[in-house]
Amino acid sequence: MLDLIISTVTQGFIYALLSFGIYITYKILDFPDLTVDGSFPLGAAITAFLLVRGVNPYLTLPVALAVGALAGLVTGVIHVCFKVRDLLAGIITMTALFSINLQIAGSNLAVGRDIDTIFTAKPVMTLFGSFTLLQRKLIVAFLLVVVFKVLLDLYFKTKNGLLLRAVGDNDVLVTSLAKDKGKVKILGLVIANALVALSGCIVCHEQRSFSATMGTGQMVFGLATVIIGTTIFKKEGFVKGTTAVIVGSVLYKICIQIAISLGLPANLLKLVTAVLFLVILVVGNRQKGGAKKNA
Amino acid sequence: MRKTMKKALCAVAAMTMIFGMTACGKKGPAVIGISQYGEHGSLDNCREGFLQGLADAGLKEGTDFTVDYQNAGFDDNICTQIGQNFSAKDVDLMCAIATNAATACFAAAEDKDIPVIFTAITDPVKAKLDKGNITGTSDKLPVEAQMDLIRKLQPEAKTIGILYTTSEPNSVSAIEEYQAKAAGYGFTIEAVGVTAQAEVTQAADTLISKGVDCFSNLTDNNVVGVLSSILEKTNEAGIPVYGSEVEQVTLGCVAAAGIDYYELGKQTGAMAAKVLKGEAKASEIPYETIAEYGIYINSGAIAEMGITLPADIAEKAIESQK
Repeated sequence: MLDLIISTVTQGFIYALLSFGIYITYKILDFPDLTVDGSFPLGAAITAFLLVRGVNPYLTLPVALAVGALAGLVTGVIHVCFKVRDLLAGIITMTALFSINLQIAGSNLAVGRDIDTIFTAKPVMTLFGSFTLLQRKLIVAFLLVVVFKVLLDLYFKTKNGLLLRAVGDNDVLVTSLAKDKGKVKILGLVIANALVALSGCIVCHEQRSFSATMGTGQMVFGLATVIIGTTIFKKEGFVKGTTAVIVGSVLYKICIQIAISLGLPANLLKLVTAVLFLVILVVGNRQKGGAKKNA
Repeated sequence: MRKTMKKALCAVAAMTMIFGMTACGKKGPAVIGISQYGEHGSLDNCREGFLQGLADAGLKEGTDFTVDYQNAGFDDNICTQIGQNFSAKDVDLMCAIATNAATACFAAAEDKDIPVIFTAITDPVKAKLDKGNITGTSDKLPVEAQMDLIRKLQPEAKTIGILYTTSEPNSVSAIEEYQAKAAGYGFTIEAVGVTAQAEVTQAADTLISKGVDCFSNLTDNNVVGVLSSILEKTNEAGIPVYGSEVEQVTLGCVAAAGIDYYELGKQTGAMAAKVLKGEAKASEIPYETIAEYGIYINSGAIAEMGITLPADIAEKAIESQK
């Protein structure tokens, strides 16, 4: 029982990093970024590639961030410099990444148990060696999520971060400040996809595998978590967007786990999940003093 | 804020209750968690065969074991959570159908000693599922038997056309084997890769225009999924298509040297029964390939293509026409 909560919350934390990315593109920049379905497995592909070649597992984290950033940069350049529509720019990068991921990893790539991951390698073992693997996964995922949450919160307060938020809300203002909104958009995409790839990297450590199809539907997942999170905390002005996104991601994973645990016919799983989301969104909206119409 | 905290607590409490209901009740019959990657004829056959295999070994559902069956609908994330669900409930045995399900179950069981029995995996060694408390059955295609069969049915044939998905490792390794061994049977292989199901029929047109003498199918999900529309095109062009399992032959392929997934499942069930009875540990049993592959034919399709069936094949082949 406790194990199940631990592993479900761990999943929520790991995928919260991906949701941070979608939060930046969708919520802040107002940019529907489909690159995600390609940059998520990209992080996993490069991680599996490096792990099986005996590279230090912790080194895969910055590498994943870097390649994810590169993917975001490509989408940004296609959109801003070549004036391709936002959706299409993402689709182009995502499509290209499908091949690139396979090129990197060969095909689906498994990481054997004899290879150390970020959950079993030295520094983590010396610090948390007395915990079970399950608990260590929770601790590491939690630490990573907190670190990146704090970094993002700090960044949003900088001049550059404020500019990023302005581009999504009112890009005329940005232009009137004599700033190039294109550059800001590219920067947002770079940060977002770096985080998405990092999430893919950690999933690869956790599952010990990369599969070519693992990116499918991640964009939709991220959107759902961002919307669930921000809806719940709509009125709580002082709850940061990043916190809301973490809660959204954990709730999403809990919903799926509840649907699995209910033991209903397997084909109903997605239906149950959909109903649970609806309940969360309706309850979330209701408690915000129902008088205001949200529609 | 306090209200929100309350809500969060409520959610956790609800989760506790729901998980609690399902998590209790150890002892008594053994619990088998079956994680199936998706809804698919062959995979369903595997599962049914698996249960039959357990029954054949004298284990009864209800008294000796209960089944917790989950289907991930081809979603890797859900696969992960299904594995973790089984692991947290400390099921006595996990049965994983298809590679992604097995990878997820095996990862979830990493720090526990829950045996994982897999089936419908082409290359367990490459998937790193050959060491540890894990065993099962591989559905590796009998490539040589298939080429032998094609040679006997079409003595004049020179090129075999194959459609496959570039991201399916099972297909990629089968193509490699075809290419390595084709010369030995006097064939050349013309393979066309696709990335999605929507591209398959276009790729079939490409193969037909290249003038291949026949098509040979793998167990490629994207390709098999649109087999009917491929057959429409090949029938028009008069090109025979060879399947890789019974169901494809039933659908209209001329013949196949292939796997009966129900039998594969039965073999897997027998292995699981050994583990459940304590006769052997999963870590001690090496993974198995199908003990015997079958030759399946569709007389209607064979006649339509003007192929004469050699007597020795006709003798051992199983008629699979609907």
